[in-house]
Amino acid sequence: MTAADVRRTATADARETAAVDKGPAAPPDVRRTVRAVQEAALGWLSRNRAHFALGDDALARDGRVDGSWKPLGELAQVCATLSVRTPASDPLHACVRDLLAFAWRQTGEGALFLEVQRAEPFATYPLEVYAAFASAGLRHPGYERAAATVAATRGWRLTEQLPTRRLGVLCAERQIGLRRDDNEPELLARTWLGGLPEPWTFERASGYALTHVVFHLTDWGRGGPGLPPALADHLAHWVPAWLVTCLEGGLWDLACEVAAVAAGVPAAGTDATFEAELAGAWARIAAVQFASGALPEEDGRFAAEVPREETVPRRDGAPASGESGFRLCYHSTLMAAFAAGLTLARWDDPRGAQPPSSPAPGAHHGGMPLTHRARRDAPVGTRTPHRTTGGTG
Amino acid sequence: MKQSGTSALLQGAVQDLASGVASALRGGGHPSREPLDAPLRPTGDLDLAAARVLGADLLLPGVLDHTPPPGARELDLARRAFDAYPPPATAAPTVAWSHWALGRALHRVTGPSGTAPAPGRVPEPGPEPDASWLTGAPWPSLTHHLAVLAPLALPVEDCALTRVARGRTLDVARGFVRAVRRRDWYQAAGAGRWLTVLPDVPHTLGLPGGLDFVELMGGGDSRVLLQVRAARLIGSGVTV
Repeated sequence: MTAADVRRTATADARETAAVDKGPAAPPDVRRTVRAVQEAALGWLSRNRAHFALGDDALARDGRVDGSWKPLGELAQVCATLSVRTPASDPLHACVRDLLAFAWRQTGEGALFLEVQRAEPFATYPLEVYAAFASAGLRHPGYERAAATVAATRGWRLTEQLPTRRLGVLCAERQIGLRRDDNEPELLARTWLGGLPEPWTFERASGYALTHVVFHLTDWGRGGPGLPPALADHLAHWVPAWLVTCLEGGLWDLACEVAAVAAGVPAAGTDATFEAELAGAWARIAAVQFASGALPEEDGRFAAEVPREETVPRRDGAPASGESGFRLCYHSTLMAAFAAGLTLARWDDPRGAQPPSSPAPGAHHGGMPLTHRARRDAPVGTRTPHRTTGGTG
Repeated sequence: MKQSGTSALLQGAVQDLASGVASALRGGGHPSREPLDAPLRPTGDLDLAAARVLGADLLLPGVLDHTPPPGARELDLARRAFDAYPPPATAAPTVAWSHWALGRALHRVTGPSGTAPAPGRVPEPGPEPDASWLTGAPWPSLTHHLAVLAPLALPVEDCALTRVARGRTLDVARGFVRAVRRRDWYQAAGAGRWLTVLPDVPHTLGLPGGLDFVELMGGGDSRVLLQVRAARLIGSGVTV
């Protein structure tokens, strides 16, 4: 099936999905569209994985974290989830494990985290990146001991961060077994999503904040304590409107993140519109995905920010060749693969949004919204810089 | 895009009419702000066309309790627009419903308990148009059409269209969110008005604040202002 075929099929599927009655199901052709998007995205990421490699500046005191550790951590985070949510017999499972192994090698199999910590002992981003690997079983005991020493200080615990970022650090700590007594429900309530905002106040920045709260609570689709009932209801009500307006606005990166969130909303609380919008989103995403597999971050950015000849990847399917082109589409391509994997997993699992390692459904809806029982890791963030502890300088 | 002369004139006439109604809904006198016994000034094609665009809302102050009755000019315009633009059999459903709603409003305000300043009851407008086309409409399309037909969003209105809307509250609420996100203030205001008459609106929508926001951002358009004020009145419990 050619890319054009996929797009034609996807358009037809979008019409068909309007007839979806209830529950997490989708016509086979829609599933094929989602799968095609995921395969193409992972193919591009694999061909361009060299761009994720840590450079000499990764350990520099004034190094740009956003251009080194951040992309690598995001690659690890996505692949850690996809390796869990993809059957071992699936060729894509081997693909994401290979990417994960590549990323782990970039860290010296964990040894570089120790070096980064020596340079910036109270920076939180190394722990967040490390936690992504740890969630996939890639661990470095020496770094974990060092991280525990630092995390035991009052200064570490008093690091000033926005609530969403703070939730991410707490998740990272739990991922490697560190505990503290922060009042997480109170912290959650101070996030944009946790405060149950009026849905019409959604904008780009709040959109990224909300997706990350969900990623923290669901361990990036791998488990976690899940969504408190009020949050799950809020998402079940308003995600269709947020998703559609991201798609209509050409915000492809954010749309994929919102689709990933949608895939994690317990199916029991959703309706036909919700399920149809999640399925229908893939026709639009497939339609803007380049033949190479890369997904533009948003409409207009290529033309506005890079010279025409550097509009990478080209539609002829050539892999990205320039660093600038890579930076403009790597994250959205990662999110496309991520959201596609979670969407397919939602449809594969008769329980809907329940990841394989998650607690029983009842555990998601009873008692406190966040517990310290479940293991979670930290996201590596997306549009928010990691350096929140004073940086390397 | 530059508007054609006729289009700009029509839009101006619609704005004038809507501004009068919006003012009346806030207690600013009857829509035209002219004495009831003042002689009617000549009505041109532009006025009729504007009245057709505004539809039943031209008479809204006379339909809702505690608002000033329609002025003689509005009533005359409404009657003439109703007669001048009968929808053909091939008319789009929204056109047919809009015409039916105008007839319904005329019937209300000229009835025994109506507020029309002049005698002469207008009969019921005839059978309702078909509403089945809206039953399975995707929610963005549903919201778009309902916003166009916002004059039917009244406290006790019971017709096929309102029955469809009552079964899709959440979709209309999502449509309100989408309209605000798209900065389509007219659609947002119309959807907001519908939500004041629909059951089980999620409280997390924050509709009162949403209406304030729509007025803040889009209230410079009199048609938006009209819908926001209508929504507030209906939401406060005003009946017909």
